[in-house]
Order: sequence, then C-alpha cells, then structure tokens
Amino acid sequence: MDGINRWDVFSMITENLQTKLKLYRMTEEEYDLMKSLLGREPLSIEWPLFSALWSEHCSYKSSKIHLKKFSYRNQNTPLMDGENAGVVDLGCGEKIAFKMESHNHPSFIEPVQGSATGVGGILRDIFTMGARPIMSANFLCFGEVNALKMPYLMNGVAKGISTYGNCVGVATVTGQTNFHSRYNKNILVNALNVGYFAPDQKMALSGASGEKNLVVYVGAKTGRDGVHGASMASASFDDDTESKKPNVQIGDPFFEKLLIEACLEVLNKELVVAMQDMGAAGLTSSSFEMASKGNVGLVIDLKKVPLRDETMSAEDILLSESQERMLLICKPDNFEKLQNEFKKWSLDAVVLGEVQKSRIIKLMWGIESLTEIDPDLIVDKAPQYKRPYDVWSYPQRVDFLEPKNISVKNLITAKLQQFKLNQHHWIHNQFDQRVGARTAMACESSVAFARLDYSGRGLGLAVGCRPEVMLMDAEIGALDSVYYPAFQLAIKGAETLAITDCLNFGNPQKIEIMTEFVTSVEAIAKASRELDAPVISGNVSFYNETLGENIISTPATGVVALRSSVEHIIPDAFANSLESIILVQTNWVESWVYVDQFANKISKYKCNKLQDVAGFIKKCVGLTAYLKQYDKKISAIKAVGLGGIGTTCLKMCQSNIGFDLSYDLSSVNESELFKDIFYGFIISTAEDSAEIISILKKYFASANLECDIKKIGETRENEIKISQNTFLEFSKFKEIYFQDIDNNFDALAVRL
Amino acid sequence: MSFKVGIIRFLGTNCDADVKKWMTLKSHRAVYLWFENQFNVNDYDMLIIPGGFSHGDYLRCGALAAHTPVMKSVKEFATKGKPILGICNGFQILCEAGLLPGVLLKNDLQKFKDEWAMLKVIQNRSPFLQGTKKDQVIKLAIAHGEGKYFAETETLNKLVDNNQIWLTYENNPNGSVLNIAGITNENKNVCGLMPHPERALFEWMGSTDGMYFL
Repeated sequence: MDGINRWDVFSMITENLQTKLKLYRMTEEEYDLMKSLLGREPLSIEWPLFSALWSEHCSYKSSKIHLKKFSYRNQNTPLMDGENAGVVDLGCGEKIAFKMESHNHPSFIEPVQGSATGVGGILRDIFTMGARPIMSANFLCFGEVNALKMPYLMNGVAKGISTYGNCVGVATVTGQTNFHSRYNKNILVNALNVGYFAPDQKMALSGASGEKNLVVYVGAKTGRDGVHGASMASASFDDDTESKKPNVQIGDPFFEKLLIEACLEVLNKELVVAMQDMGAAGLTSSSFEMASKGNVGLVIDLKKVPLRDETMSAEDILLSESQERMLLICKPDNFEKLQNEFKKWSLDAVVLGEVQKSRIIKLMWGIESLTEIDPDLIVDKAPQYKRPYDVWSYPQRVDFLEPKNISVKNLITAKLQQFKLNQHHWIHNQFDQRVGARTAMACESSVAFARLDYSGRGLGLAVGCRPEVMLMDAEIGALDSVYYPAFQLAIKGAETLAITDCLNFGNPQKIEIMTEFVTSVEAIAKASRELDAPVISGNVSFYNETLGENIISTPATGVVALRSSVEHIIPDAFANSLESIILVQTNWVESWVYVDQFANKISKYKCNKLQDVAGFIKKCVGLTAYLKQYDKKISAIKAVGLGGIGTTCLKMCQSNIGFDLSYDLSSVNESELFKDIFYGFIISTAEDSAEIISILKKYFASANLECDIKKIGETRENEIKISQNTFLEFSKFKEIYFQDIDNNFDALAVRL
Repeated sequence: MSFKVGIIRFLGTNCDADVKKWMTLKSHRAVYLWFENQFNVNDYDMLIIPGGFSHGDYLRCGALAAHTPVMKSVKEFATKGKPILGICNGFQILCEAGLLPGVLLKNDLQKFKDEWAMLKVIQNRSPFLQGTKKDQVIKLAIAHGEGKYFAETETLNKLVDNNQIWLTYENNPNGSVLNIAGITNENKNVCGLMPHPERALFEWMGSTDGMYFL
C-alpha cells in the first residue's frame, strides 16, 4: 500500500459502496442485512440477486404485513399461497385462476411495449398454472387529454394492449378508462386475466422438486431488454424517462401464443413437475422462488442460457426481463418427449441444470462456480418494513354544500363534457372481444360475461375503482372499488365469487400515502368479507410519483361473479321505444354531489359510510329471476354511475333509442339529474310501471331494504330530452359517442 | 348432411377451437390438420382455414402460411373443386396462396377493429351459405387489422362479371373496395370472408346468423 494511506482506502471503499448502493437501488440498512444474512461481504454476482428480489416490486417489502389482511377464504377458494395467481373452484369440476397486475412505469416510458408486455406478463402468470387464458381486462388511468405526450400515451397503450391481446387469441372483454390531471406524469396500466380449468385439465405448481430432475429453459432467447426492470419499477420518476427506455421489455405475442399452446400441452401430458414464468427479475426470481417454494436447491449453468447477444454477462443474464420465457422442472426420462412437444411449436427447450436436495442455489458459469447461496435468504428473508401511517380520519369528508354559482345549464354542459371524454369506444374497438367464441357480453357493456365451456354457466367480470371517489375519501373509495363492480355484476344476475386487486399508490415512505394504502387494504378486506368474496390474488405498485407529485391513490380491483347461464343477460342499452324508465335508489346510502374539474368549480359532497351495501348487492342478484316469477320482463338495466341519472341514461343510448326525462316534472328536479348517486340502478321496461314498482318494492322490503323506486321517464326513438328545456340532437350525440379519437382528437376538449 | 371437415392449424392460428365447436354444433366431424404435413385430399369433404395470426403475421398477413407444406394439399383440394372456406386470416392466406384474387390491406384507420357488421349476401351459390337468400342482410362480428379488400380494376370487373362477390358490408368498416367482405373463386368452391361466422351461433353471442353457413 505504498503511497496510499489507510484513510484513502477507507474512503475508496465507502465511495465504492455508495456507488453500488445507488446502482442497485438498495439502502445501507439493506446492505447490512444482506451482509449479516450471508455472514460475509456479498460477492459481486450476489448484488444483483439481492437488488432484484429485494426490490419493492418483487418483495412487497412495504406492503407485505398489510396484505395479510386479505387472508379471508371460503370453501370455493383453496389456499394457494405463493402461487402465481389465485384459484377459485366453481363447482361442476371447473376452476378459474385470475390475477391483475400493473405495468405503469414501463407504459409511461414506452406505451406500446410497456402495455403489451403488461398483457403478456399477466397471461404467463395464468397459463403457468395450467389454466387456459379466456378473458382479459384492463384498468387504465390517463392524465388530461391536453397534457404533455398524453395523446401519444393513450394511443400507444391502446395499441400495445390490442396488438398483444389480439394476437395471442384471448378475448379482451372489459375495461375502465379514467382521466385526471393527477395522472399527467404517471399513467396507470393494469392488466387482468382470467384462466379456465376444464374438469380434466391439470393444475401446475411452481415449487421445484425431485433430486436430479432437470431445470429446463423454454421460450424466447435472453436479451438485454429489461435488465434492472424490477428495481426501476420500484423507484419514483424524475424528468428523465427517455434514458430508461432500454429498461422496458419488448414483447412478441406470437411467441407467447406458441408458449401457451406448448405449455398447456406438456402439462396435460404430465411431462412437467413444476413450471414458473420468468417475469420481473427474470431468471433470478423464477429459479430462486421455485427452489424456495419446493424446499430444494438448484444447480444452474448460466452459460447454457440461450442468448440473443453472446456478450451478455452473468449479471445481465440473471436480471434480463426478456419476455416469453419459462422455467420448467421435468424428470430426466421425460425430457426428450418434452423437447419434442416444444419443437412441434417451434420452440427450443434447453437444460440449464438440475434439482439438488440441499437447499442451495449454485450458479455456474461453465465449470466455474459463481456463487452458492440459500434461496431463502433472498426470497423469504427479504426486509419487511412497517412504514409509518396514521389512523384514517376522513380528512376531506365535508358536509353537503349547494354548489354555488353554477347554473343547471353549466352543470349539464360540464357533465356532458366529462361524459364525452369518458367514452372510450375508440380504445375497446381495437380489442378482439369475441375470439374463443365464449363472449356473451363485452366492452360495450358495464360488465362482461363469458360462457364456461363445460357447464355452460356465465362467468362475469368487472373492474373497479373510481378515482373521483378515492380523491374524496380513501376509505369510501376503496370500499366502492369492490362494491361497485360487484353491484354492476349483481344487477345482471351474477353472484360475486372472488376479487383480485392492483393497488396503485404513490411513495410509501410518505405517511399520508401509507395511511391511504393501509386504509384501502382494510376497506377492501372488509368489503370482501361482507360479500363472501375472498381477495385471492393481487399486486402492489408503489412509487407512482413523478417529481414528488403522487397519483390519486388507486386501488383497482377485478371482480368475478357467476351466473347460472349466459342466456338472457339484460343489456345496459335501451332497446325499445316508449318503455318506462324506472329508478331504484337505496335511501340509506346518502347521495352526494361532486362538481368536477371540468366545471372548474368546487367539489363538495356528502356521503355516509357505505353501510349495508353488501346486503343490497346480494339481494340484487335474484332480481330478474324474481320478476320472472311474476312473468314480468325488463329490457335494460344499468347501475347509476358518476354523473347521476342524466349521464347514466346517456350511456344507455347505444342504439337509436333515446329518452325523455321531462315526462313528469315532479319526479326529478332538473338540478338533481346530474347529481351523483351511490348504488342506484335504472331499468327500462315495457310492462306497467306501477306494477313493476310495487313488485320491486316488495322484493327489497322482504330483505328489510327500503328503496325509493320511481318512474323517471320514458324511452324515445331518436330523441334525447334531458329536461323540459334541454334537448340533445340524437345524431350529434351518436357522433360524439362513437367517434374515433384520431378523427377528432381536438373535439374532445371542445365544448358541446 | 354430415361432412368430414379438415381444420388447418398454423403456428399462431387462434380460432381453430372455435371453428371446431361450430362444426360439432352443425353435426360435422372436424379434424385438425397441421401446417407441416400434407394430407390425402380424398379424406375430407371440405376444408376450413380459421382466423388468427398465422406465423405471427410476419412479412405480411398470411404470407408465410401460404408457403407451408399443407398448402400443397390445399391447392390440390381446390383444383378438385372441393369446398374451402377461409375466415379472416384464412381469407388472407387464400389470397396470398393465389387461390383467391386480390389482397387484404391495413384498415383505412390503420387500427384493429372489432365490431358487429351488417352484411349483404350478394350471391348464395357458394357451398357455404346456401341457406340464405340473395340480398339477405346478416349480422356477423368482424375483428381484424388488415381487412381492407383491394384488387385492380381488371380483377374487380372479373369478380363482378363472374358473380364472385359473395358478401358486402352495409357500412364499410375498413375501406374495402366495392364494400367487399367476402369473395369466391370463379368456380365458387373456394370462399373467403373477413367476418367470423363462428362467433354468431347463439342469441347470447349477439347473433345466430353464423348458423346459416354450411
């Protein structure tokens, strides 16, 4: 050490450490933990392993202690801890697996590939369990249309989802699109998939087992795309998103389609012991998790990994998030058969190593050993943080104030503008909604239904979370994230079965964000218990903040429900002219007014806690069957959404049938037309309205649910009459409703 | 009458199972045929090439599929005058293989489009849609990014003269010339259409007009 004193060496080491911590996005405490678990300094190859698997994205270190609150299960939901998605037993031998996942950060950096690989990733989570993906859905939040890059992001996301989803041949059946300025610099792209197990279909597990069994790599070659993707997704954004583009993975849906077919085939031929997709943190997470879950060790030679770029280092290989890759465990005797099956689908299967009894992962580079490490150190011993939070104190809940200085006309104009913006046919029209020949109700409706192949029953699916409600009160908003989609499914005759969630939040190190997070988790857990619908899978996405500005806390959900058949599901849209329009409204859940951003006015509201909503939702399931007992039919039914009766009626005008709400002035006050209503619904019927009203009253009263039920208008052909003084030209309305965003992008921001 | 139907599968075909369900519903016996193998043309009464993204739509939709081994047998099948139906990507493949005239280009809006389409039956002499009357309007779903039918004037004139235009859109969704949604070859045994009859078999699907086929 001539010429260098000890202090210099020390400072070189600390500087070196700081650089490493920054590069691997770890804290000093985490470094200390890593060192004490290993009992030594980490080797250079171990840094990326810990970095990836201890990232928020992979380890759920800020949320894990709270996610335990979703432990409620019932007889339909077997415990499947640690598997890729939750499973629901539907009876009749049928099962489904479903899950929702975020791809927010990549989609903001590169919308087409970011959203496409989001779809691809969630599909792999499903078919890796042996289920055939049958329904896709998405939950999107964009900023204001005139925000920087927003049209580019919106078009890109729609294109990414459609290109990927259509090509793999899975119907995209429902979705929700929200717009708010708080998403200007951090859009949300959440993808959901439901997979189906027919009675004879085998379920796959992800725990490796069987000494000397082979570790097999299948699918696309490994490239540099997505290296460090998991840790990128676990950090906040600054202004420099361009430089992060190389972190975004590139997807190939054609490859995915081949993988789906090949993987399901080898599973059904029982050639596979365990299977796991290479998602976030690629080969690292898949191999370590398979070993940890199976209580075994693995020997893996990284030199055998098929590469797109031969100059890739061991670290690159471990962290690459190249898409469409799977890791399989198979018995040595079955390998040839397995390889032939994959060859049929034009896919390579390569042996990387084998399973060993001792719980050690041995990473090799040819004959050179890179590291030997206990997988549990990285998988199970990841740090868990009890980040500080407060008790929810309803900070924004205020009493109702009559919105001042807003004329009814301005209110209507504002509501219509918002309505216009929220129409997203131009997105849904790009999705193949009917491939699979199972779709009974798709994106044109508030909820989706697919026919289950074996039993012929209807599987309902809806996504939820209304950012406007979250903005006002995280507790009510999170309850509503579950109740509202469940309610929308219930009025179509489907009983809620289970829930998945995708919890999109800002920086968990900020106490107000963590408070909203904990409040939301508890509210969702409560709603889930009340509906007897367990939260069986989910995903947490933190650090949705850019330059210190957080998104609206957005706990998105996916709710599945079951209906006895797919026949006679009552549509959303008005079908016939001169029918009665009837409003059914709970009178114990107080409604509220929310004058939105478009009116540039105050937002004031009043809302009770959502009490007894679960009971009402459950009762709604049997509604149409009950009417049938009296030989009564209804032709349209739709939940009243934000924007109240007026907006909901507008949404029900999908054919040439409009409405007239002015028929009885005493029934609805003009200023009340666009007042938000919680948990009410509108029906259209050709039957005698007085009779229907009395039957409905009796029905709900039998469960001690007092509802206000009244006729509010009638359907009209080619006519929309909102009030005595307010008409809409039907053709103009349709033009707005169905316009393509490309044709008339500017028009979105223009006043009606 | 029950037929033995060969359903051709390529890598990336994704409506194969749907077509098989449809054939079973119509009491036909359906068998999958793999793109790498030729087959004995005498073994089947008719062929269906289902929709999807054969070979990833690489190069051009249907271009790679059109040059696979199975297509040799398909061409022989066509020459014998036996019925072949191409749906969506199957239609694109038949055009690429030269069994049908013209090409399918990107939709006018340059975007994938999924919607219900009203279609007029221009001629009902194809073997696949004899249950309908001429000029009858049927409702089928479309789902494609490249469904804009195009051919040169000379070809179009021939199509008209020979009564080869099979189905036309009532509201053209993609910019197809002459609103063409489906055509046949001169012999009327090879037929292609962009809409999906297998997605319109029951009321709950939204239409039952797919049942008119076969």
